[in-house]
Amino acid sequence: MEKKKYELCLEVLSRFAKVGLLDKLVLIGSWCLYFYEDFFAGLNYLPSIRTRDIDLLVPLPQKNKTEIDVPKMLEDLGFVVGFIGSKGYMRLNHPELIVEFLVPERGRGSDKPFPLPNLKMSAQPLRYLDFLAANTMRVKFDNMIINVPHPAAYGLHKLIIYKRRRKKDKADKDIQQALMIFGCFEEMGDFRKLKEIFRSMPKKWQSNVIRNLSDLDRKDIKEILTS
Amino acid sequence: MIIKNVLEEELNNSLRMKKLYEEKLKKLGKGSLYAKKIKGKVYYYLIKRIKGKVHLVYIGKLSQERIDEYGKEKILRAKYRKLLSQTKKQILFLKRSLRGKEEV
Repeated sequence: MEKKKYELCLEVLSRFAKVGLLDKLVLIGSWCLYFYEDFFAGLNYLPSIRTRDIDLLVPLPQKNKTEIDVPKMLEDLGFVVGFIGSKGYMRLNHPELIVEFLVPERGRGSDKPFPLPNLKMSAQPLRYLDFLAANTMRVKFDNMIINVPHPAAYGLHKLIIYKRRRKKDKADKDIQQALMIFGCFEEMGDFRKLKEIFRSMPKKWQSNVIRNLSDLDRKDIKEILTS
Repeated sequence: MIIKNVLEEELNNSLRMKKLYEEKLKKLGKGSLYAKKIKGKVYYYLIKRIKGKVHLVYIGKLSQERIDEYGKEKILRAKYRKLLSQTKKQILFLKRSLRGKEEV
């Protein structure tokens, strides 16, 4: 099942790359851990369990101006459109994978789906995604260039959002992933990017990260970030 | 605990997916296209099974576009059937896994 999942994920990404869409998206969520393997090569990097969801962030304002019928593009692979939540944002379902689009939530926020008419899809708006969109890196994989958040940004983001989770298991998974990434930075002994991204965060977010690290009793990481 | 919750989430996804594939299959309709040559002209029939019996439903002449559509539908129907069966197997597997004993 795992092999099929990888193959299908790469097929989806390569289809997006062919029409020039992949370049305008950022792969977030647990799937991007898979693409950090080169970044953390030679270290004790063992990405945790991946769910079926491929979360694709559409940075705002949208860069894609061409019309791409995403559901139609993936139909022959067996993806079917499903609606989730009380307001019904769209996602593409397959037994191996679920493709979902996300956008950064701004202002007061809304529980309504964010329309992406150019893609014939809608997206779920979520907080703190601007931070991920602002700190990306490009990974070359299978003749594709994939945008993923910088691992430092990914870890810091997880450290902020875990407190906002309703489900404890999701929060535990966030903590686990954040600590694994920080562990790899410790192993690398290079904290420049981690500190740089941390300092680029608004002061309030920085104090949230510090407070959350104290709650997790991780003074070592706290010292690195604040030194 | 994390694994159990991931499995529960996956089970809910699979149940949702099963429903979606069943709906899609219902919308696609049943039957295969069958061409019959009568006095040099081609007429089309839809072969389908109704209550266990095979029936030939007359359609008549069809444009190439419509024939292609039937072809695409047939491929898609086979694909959805396969994925539905895969989803059902996943549901069984996940239900069985979730029924397993937890360590205390």
